Amino acid sequence: MMAMKDMTMVNEPQKRRAPNMIWPVAIGIGTAMLAGGFAGYNDAAAERGDAVLAPWIGPVVAVLIGGLALAYYVRRHADAFRSWSPRKRLYWISLILSGALGFVAAMVMQAGSDGTDGLFSNAALTPPVAIALSAMWVVGLTIALILYHRTVDDHERQAYHLGGLAGFYAFVFPCPVWWVLWRADLAPPVDAMPLFGLSLAANAVIYFWYKFR
Amino acid sequence: MNNQLKVLRAMRNWSQAELADRLDVSRQAVNAIETGKYDPSLPLAFKLARLFAMPIEEIFDDGHEGHDDGE
Repeated sequence: MMAMKDMTMVNEPQKRRAPNMIWPVAIGIGTAMLAGGFAGYNDAAAERGDAVLAPWIGPVVAVLIGGLALAYYVRRHADAFRSWSPRKRLYWISLILSGALGFVAAMVMQAGSDGTDGLFSNAALTPPVAIALSAMWVVGLTIALILYHRTVDDHERQAYHLGGLAGFYAFVFPCPVWWVLWRADLAPPVDAMPLFGLSLAANAVIYFWYKFR
Repeated sequence: MNNQLKVLRAMRNWSQAELADRLDVSRQAVNAIETGKYDPSLPLAFKLARLFAMPIEEIFDDGHEGHDDGE
């Protein structure tokens, strides 16, 4: 009986109200929308011929407000977070790090491009911004992915693998088609970024489907 | 694959989140196993067996009667 009890007490969680994980996601989206609002304001001001804010002001204000909201959320649920297993804690750190990387990269691209063509344009970047972004992307993503793959659970690993497969197919089918069409002058030159976007979208749809269905 | 996870969990009055914490997996993983949308890996199946102090084949049922003897 004792042995059975020992086995069932291996990972005994403490009863605490689990923090609702929708809030950090909402804070992230709100932060991005606030930064977008500043960019929209600048675009409108530029069209009217009014003075525009420095491009870094919007992202910095958005990050400050988002950071404060996130700090409040973490503080409010500090006990619950402390009760998390090391695996779960590292897992969420990897996700937050990935999200932060994407956000910072988007904001830097928005603020560091010449002109106001928008985030997904091919507008020129200054060399320091391009080098910093590349380094941040490679190093940051490598760290985040190592953490993620070391801490992800069985079920999510399957979702991740199937999402990755979908992303792969979303690249290997359209890419050669586009290329041969271009060679026959039936399509514009192959551009990596729409393919990258398509691959990410396919990956996300399949991943979320298997993770949350 | 059918399984008794939901019944075993209900007998202990655990929520999916509590069981997930005990297994150190996500709540979605527990839900997916319970609803038969996902078959756990062997290590996770052993973890479940240890947690409920039952043999794996009493928790999971692959629909085959008896033991395969290679015939």
